[in-house]
Amino acid sequence: MNDIPEGDLLVILRHGPHGNSWLREGLDAALVAAAFGQRVSLLFLGEGVMALLKDQQEGPLGQKGTQPMLEMLGMYDIETLLVDRRALSERGIEVDDLCVSVSLVEGEAIAGALAHHRQILNF
Amino acid sequence: MILHILNRSPSASRVFQQTLDAMGPEDRLLLIEDAVQGALPQLVRYFEPVIGRLFALREDLASRGLDGRCDSRVMVVDVDGFVTLTEEADKTVSWF
Amino acid sequence: MASTEIYRYLTVSDQEIALDPEGYLVHLQDWSPDVALVLAAEEGRELTEEHWEVITVLRDFYARFETAPAMRPLVKAVGQALGPEKGKSLHLMKLFPDSPAKVGARLAGLPKPANCL
Repeated sequence: MNDIPEGDLLVILRHGPHGNSWLREGLDAALVAAAFGQRVSLLFLGEGVMALLKDQQEGPLGQKGTQPMLEMLGMYDIETLLVDRRALSERGIEVDDLCVSVSLVEGEAIAGALAHHRQILNF
Repeated sequence: MILHILNRSPSASRVFQQTLDAMGPEDRLLLIEDAVQGALPQLVRYFEPVIGRLFALREDLASRGLDGRCDSRVMVVDVDGFVTLTEEADKTVSWF
Repeated sequence: MASTEIYRYLTVSDQEIALDPEGYLVHLQDWSPDVALVLAAEEGRELTEEHWEVITVLRDFYARFETAPAMRPLVKAVGQALGPEKGKSLHLMKLFPDSPAKVGARLAGLPKPANCL
């Protein structure tokens, strides 16, 4: 694990796409903060890692998918995407299966990420 | 030090595991709402890693008839104690 | 967000284009360069080549990310597409005084950008 990233805001995402609006709400909060110049990092825990899978699509009723939003994060200078390594392996997901580039974290690095951000929002 | 606040029972939801994973060595955990069931001696094992830093909210215990049934290693605080815990923490994180 | 409330109609070459209360298109597919021209003319804006460049960047951004950009990502997108000289908020403020992200989105036929002053 290289340096623990620091920042103003850590947004924790714990829900996958489509089942509810937590993921979109969390990403929205991250984008608002970034639009106002905050240094924002994302931490994907548990089912939140499903948000990162390639080949996601819009919902059966035409609900927007989250992949375009994830790809847009870089335009908001949100570059730090931390992903719980165990949550990936529990689901048989490899880093190559993800649609954006991420940093894997586990164990103490997760607590470290929380400690090194001024604010935390949990979604 | 971060105050983590959990409101789901460990016997109904696995959110407690994420909470524990995210806790640093000095962080504290406060059980509120349904999570206070985790203060029972039969369920407190889920919180073994944070014994000594584990709190439960008295008002939520009392409303469930659990005040007095808590494991002795759980520190019971009332709402004023909740406020104090919040003041002592750098920040708080809610898990739900 | 795109509003679905029709507030008034804009006449563009004999077609009635529905606008929401803030002047954004109700049906995004109604957009054409002529719509942009008429919207701009209503406000006394003249669209130069430099305006059109930015409108194209805005439309590309929306096609790619399904969201209208706030100011910061707009500046970044313009910089990537048109070079660092133009990827500056000053350049965009000059082209679209008031709020480049909002005015630009309106003229480019995008929904109103969320998360934007």
